[in-house]
Parts: sequence; C-alpha cells; structure tokens
Amino acid sequence: MTVNARILPKRKKSLWNIIVQQKWLIIMSVPVLLYVLLFNYAPMWGWITAFQDYKPKDGLMNSDWVGIKNFSWLFSRPEFLDVLRNTLAMSIINLVFGTVSAIVLAVLLNEVTKTGFKRVVQTVTYLPHFLSMVIVVSMAQNIFSSNGVINDFIGKIQDLLIKIGLMENKPMPVFWLGEKKIFWWLQGVINVWKEVGWGTIIYISAMTSIDPCLYEAASIDGAGRFKRILHVTLPGIKSTFVILLIMNIGHLLEAGFEIQYLMENSQVQDYSRTIDVFVMHYGISKMQYGIASAAGMFKSVVAIILLFGANFIASKLGEDSLI
Amino acid sequence: MKKTLALLLAVAMMLALVPAVLAEDLEPITVTVFRGDPGDQPTEDNKIYKLIEEEFGIKFEFEFLAGDLDETLGLKIAGGVYPDLFDGGNSAEMLENADVLIDMLPYISEEKTPNLYKHIYTENRIAQLLDDDGHLHIIPNYGINYNGQVQNAPSGPQFFLQKQVIEFNDYVVPTTLNEYFDLIERFIAANPVNADGTPYTGFAILCEDWRHFCLINPVQHLMGRPNDGEVIVDVNTDAYTTTTFINQPYAKDYYKKLNEEFNKGIISRDTFVMNYDQYIAALSNGTVLGMFDQAWDFGGATAALNDAGMYANTFIGMPLVYDESYGYGVIEEHYVNGTVMNKDRGFGISVTCEDPERMIMFFEELLSDRWQIILQWGIEGEDYYVENGRFLMTDEQYANLNNSEWKRANKANTIWESCPKKQGLMDDGNAWAPGDQAEIYFGQMNAYDIDFYAKLGVRVPGDLFDMTLELAPYGEAWQIDKTPIEIDYEDFNNIQDKRLPELIMAAPADFDALWDAFVEEINPSCEVYSAFMQAEVLKLVEQALGN
Repeated sequence: MTVNARILPKRKKSLWNIIVQQKWLIIMSVPVLLYVLLFNYAPMWGWITAFQDYKPKDGLMNSDWVGIKNFSWLFSRPEFLDVLRNTLAMSIINLVFGTVSAIVLAVLLNEVTKTGFKRVVQTVTYLPHFLSMVIVVSMAQNIFSSNGVINDFIGKIQDLLIKIGLMENKPMPVFWLGEKKIFWWLQGVINVWKEVGWGTIIYISAMTSIDPCLYEAASIDGAGRFKRILHVTLPGIKSTFVILLIMNIGHLLEAGFEIQYLMENSQVQDYSRTIDVFVMHYGISKMQYGIASAAGMFKSVVAIILLFGANFIASKLGEDSLI
Repeated sequence: MKKTLALLLAVAMMLALVPAVLAEDLEPITVTVFRGDPGDQPTEDNKIYKLIEEEFGIKFEFEFLAGDLDETLGLKIAGGVYPDLFDGGNSAEMLENADVLIDMLPYISEEKTPNLYKHIYTENRIAQLLDDDGHLHIIPNYGINYNGQVQNAPSGPQFFLQKQVIEFNDYVVPTTLNEYFDLIERFIAANPVNADGTPYTGFAILCEDWRHFCLINPVQHLMGRPNDGEVIVDVNTDAYTTTTFINQPYAKDYYKKLNEEFNKGIISRDTFVMNYDQYIAALSNGTVLGMFDQAWDFGGATAALNDAGMYANTFIGMPLVYDESYGYGVIEEHYVNGTVMNKDRGFGISVTCEDPERMIMFFEELLSDRWQIILQWGIEGEDYYVENGRFLMTDEQYANLNNSEWKRANKANTIWESCPKKQGLMDDGNAWAPGDQAEIYFGQMNAYDIDFYAKLGVRVPGDLFDMTLELAPYGEAWQIDKTPIEIDYEDFNNIQDKRLPELIMAAPADFDALWDAFVEEINPSCEVYSAFMQAEVLKLVEQALGN
C-alpha cells in the first residue's frame, strides 16, 4: 500500500468511489457484521431484566421494575465477592501460565533444527486443544483421584523416603479434587496441558517472520544461542505478545466456564465458582433471571474498562494499540 | 375449529368401543414429549406405539434429558417453547411455578372421564394433589394403588449392605447404626480387598446436587421418622411441630459417627467429590460395601451387578435406628410409610399444547384396564400368557423385560412411566405390574437370592421392614415445594453440602468445635426453613382432614 501511494499521483476519492472499489471487502464483512449485531448487540436488550424481577410468564414488558435491587443484593452476598475473586485469580493464573508456557515452548521449538521432531512435538502438544473439556476433566478426575496415578507416584516416593529413613509416617494422600486451595492451580495446569500447543502457533508464526539476517548478524557479533533468543527472538514477537495481552485483559473476567463447571463440587465450590457459572446457576437453574443479568452486566462493564485500560497503557508504552 | 374438535371428540367417545373407527375420525397428530430423565428412543416400528397410533391417531416425538435437569427446564422456561406433554422429573415445581402447565381439573369429570375421576377422587386423593389456587397440574405417575399395595422390596430410603457382608455376619442383619458400622469394620478387617485385589470401600456417601439426600437425610430415619426431607414433624400433637433436624444434637451423633469411621478409613475422601455417574460406577464394580440411599436411585448399579452375575455384591436394605446408648430411648423404625403418592411427578400438559382435551382423553383411555394390561404386561400370547386366570410369563418373556434393546421395540416405556397408572392388584387378584406377581417374583429369583433369603429367614426383602405403618395426614414433607423460599433454601442446602463433608473429614479432636460453628452458621436458614415448612405442613393437614 505505502509503495503504491508513493508512485501514484494523489487524487481525492469520493466516498462512493471507495465503496465501489472495496465492494468485495464490504460484502465479505456483512455476515460478520450481522453475526455481531445478532449475537452481541441484540441480546443487550435483555439487560433490562437486571433492573426487573423478571418472570418469563410476564415477559420483558410486564415484569416488575425493582431498580438496582438486584445489584445491591449481589454485592451484599459474600458469595458473589468470592466469585469475583475466583474469576480474577483464575484468569490471571491462566493468563500467566498460558502465555509463559506458550512462549517457552515456541522458543524451544524455534531452536529445534530437525523438522521431523519439531512437527511431531507441535502436533502432539496441540492435539488436546481439540478434545472436549468434558473428556479432559474426566481424565483429570481419574488421574488426580485419591488412588489415581499422581497419588500412586507420590506414594511410591514416600515409601522410598521411609525406607531410607528420611520420612517417618506416610501422610494421607493429597486430596487434589477436594482441596479448596489447590483448585485454582489444578485448573491452571489442566488448561496449560490442553492449550499450550495451540497457543504456540501464533508465536511460531510470528517467529518465522523474523528476518534471518538478524540471527546471522547476531552470530557474527558473537551472540550465543541464549543471547540470540534474548535479543532477536523475543523482541521479534513483542508486538504479537502485546496485542494478545490486550485482548486477553479484555477477557480477564472470562476465566472460563466449562472446566469450573465440570470440576465443581461442594468442597471446592467457594474457590471454583466463576461469574459465568454463577450466572448459569442463578439465572437458569434457580430462575433468578434479574440477578443473573445483573451479574452478567457487571462483568461486561468491568471487561470494557479493563480493555480500554490495557489499550491505553499499551499505546503509552509505544506499542501498537488495538483500538 | 374448537367446536369441530369437540364434536369429533364426542363422536370418538361414543365410538370408543370401536377403536378402528375412532382413528379414522380423529385427525392424526404428532405430540411432543419431554422427559426429565435420560431415556432411550423407541424404535421406529415399536409395536405398542404403533397400536397407540392406530387407535388414537397419536404419534410421539420424544426428547429426553441430557445434562442438568434444572438448567434444561430453566432454558425451556426462558425460551417459552414447550413440549405438549411435559414431565419435569424431579424439578417439576419449576414448571408449575412458571405457569407452564395447564390446570387439568376442568377437563376431568365423572361422566366424561370416569377412569381418571376414580383415580384421583378416591380416598380424597384430590385434596393432596391441588395447589394453593385449587389447580391440578400433574396426575402422579406412581403411588396410586388399587386393591392394596404390593411391595416386595421397599424402594425408598434405607441403609444398604452388600449381601456378602450379611453372609459374613452369619445372616444376622444389623438393626442399629453402631451394629452396622461395627459389621463393616469387621468385614474389612477380614477381607480388605476383593478377589481382584481392589480394596473395599466401607461406606459411600453421594452428595451431588439434589441427590445429596444420601448425606443429609439419614438422621430423621435413625430417630424413627419417615422421609420428611429435611425436617422432623412431631405427629403426636395436633400442632405438628416441624423442625429442621440438621442443627440438633441428635444429628451431631450421626456425623460424629461418620467422622470416626472416616478416620478409621471406612469412608473414602473421594466420595465427597463424586458425581452420580462415578457413584454408580463405584457401586457397579462391587467394591462399595454400604451406603444410605434409595433403591430406585442406584437401579443401574443393581442391574449391572446382576448382569455380571455378581449376586453376592448386590445390596439389601435395612432399617437402622440409634441404639439406646445414644440416650434417646428405644426407637421404633419408621422407614416405609404406607402408600405415598408421587405428587407433582409425571406428565403435565403444557399451555402451548393445542388440544389438551385430547391429551386428557388419551390419559383416560390409557387408564382403562385393557390399556393398563397392554402397557404393563404387553400383548397376550406374545409377551405373557394366562393360565387358570393367572397372568404368567415364560423365562424368556420375563428376561425381555430387563433387555433394553427388546424394550425399545416392544414396550411404550416412556409414556407408561410418566402417565397416570394403576398399581397394586387387579380386581381378579393379578398384579398390575409383572414384577409384583408372586409367581413371577419368586419364579425369576436367581439361585443365590433364593438361598440368601431362605438363610436370612425372610420371604422378601420387605420383611425386614415394618410394612404396616400409616402415612401421616400431611403425606411426606419432602414433597413440599420450596420455590417460595428459593434463595433461603439454596443457602440452607449450600451450608450443609459444604460443611458436613468437612465435618466428616475433620480430625476427631476438632470435631466438636467445628460442629458448634456449623450449627451457628446454619441456624438462621434453619429458622426460615422450619417456619416455612411448619406453615406448609399445617396447610396440608388442614386440606387432608378437611377442616
């Protein structure tokens, strides 16, 4: 584009000319626009239920208006504050774990010269992405149960320690699935296992666009492998990283739904329930539509603030901003 | 249109004795059906549904529950698209409160629908079935008996043990909580692992979602009360004092006992994070020795054990109470409770159903003796035979009843299970249900069970229970709809779901302090809940006694 602009004489185009010129682009964007309008904007109409004591039989127009009662109820519930805390905590854990593991794996793969091995690793790591979360959670529940593989392994090590006298009594097996404090980290680990390969794809593609001359120049200047990673590879994927970070911060209140929903039990519920599960539980199962809408609306508002905040900071830092 | 249909119906009723003509007169319709539990689609050429189609001009489209019941119902209610026949399963109250179901009462009369009329008006049953506004939304799917009740094995709440444990105890069945756990401990000490080397779990507690009754209900039974859900009702006075029991000292005794057993390794921690499927899988592999549950709740596991020929691992239920050492005197067991109508469970007709009258007439016809026999026994000569007036089945015919593939093609199970039905005995003494027919029940019993019950000295498992007890005038309090106090009820349940497992898993030294904290935490919602239930119980008593 920039090259063309320099060669061609400048001519002011009318709006109509631009539209005609870009007609295919516009036609292509119509389905997306419709999708967004239909599924993202139209449902916002339902937000008015956040201010109602909504009953399906009365409909949107005839339900009683209750002002901000739903919101004040939400924030007076310690449960909702727990839910907020869980959502943020798990989101941050997933963001950090997910990003770091994806970058590390991408850098490692980038350093592998044998393409065969590289492809095998890539395929093996991203295949779990295509598994349904139901399957992943069932597997995890088996592996982490009291007599599962992990506890078996820990037990064997403990037996060994007892044998050589470093340990006296064998403690109870770890209660992975029912211990409140473990839940956040456990779901983080499961998420990494499932998504790490998928996450690397975008970083690896960013790395392929790094000019090989830079690596050669660095080698000539005496940079070793680690120096090259530090000064060429990582700066090369910086803008990708920032864009993804901004997008992810916008989704910070979307810690996920499936894994928390599937792994929830009464023992970990205080630490496992996220806003989405909360909305599902009260809105659908308990038919408290107003309360669920209020929670969903609150989530959206916070997400917008976070997104603009992250964008602002990114542009201040001199990186590409998204909006 | 309405008039024509009414006319058609009138004609149809006159011609009811000539079924072939009826189908020609009635416009064929497709009726959509939702069932609040998982099920099997019938085959295309299912013989009973074919008969229904020929006779009534009705074809069914079934939808079964997949996933969580409350969520599925909630979505349907929010969406406003309902099936014609709507069985909300264990959460049908959601449908009633959201005005999804029509009031059936105006359609039922002695002249037009004599079978239904007799079904719900006999013994003043109707008093229990109407809601506060005097509407009838659902005719119970189970629990209306004709000529007395046949109950070979109670299907309700009991403490269960594997039959091999009773065998181990020289066929002595425990009657108290302490005997029960003492036996489990002795059995595990003698047999820590099964034949495959898998360790036995002494006692399992299912705590998932609404099935948490396995965790929170036993106390009332140990105190000699029937299943009133989460309350104990004092039936000795006219005040019917209703109190939650979970915050009482006599509940502490039970959970303290469980805490002891947990610390002895009889209860596994995994039981508190199990979902229903995992629970059934655990029972099915025969390594769980005992649990508190209701027989219908783990039918899948019983079938799996029988299929595998693991008869010694199937379960036998028993009524346990606290022994005198607990200081509550001698407690008489009260597990089985006369005839309990399964109120608010079964088909309702949704407000979007185009021709509710036709549905009612369909129920009415199904309730005729002829159709009841077709639905329960099948076709004479094919599915059963009659000898000297007794309805009988060959071994093969009976085996078919437990074969789900065969049933898909030859039984109208989905419709039958949710429709109003006759139970107990026919006027000629045959049982309505094949499994209740004495010749069949005993004739089909496997050799292990025959030997087991003989050595136990009982005719049927139900002989271990007092079967003569009467139902209180309010029915069973678990049936009371809690939606008016939805959020308080949620809190009440949540606290129990979280704290009771914590209490059971606590170190013995911490138990007392944790219990006090639990009682303090739950007391406010107990008060709300008790007050609500008290009012509802009194309302029901008033309705039943008619004053």
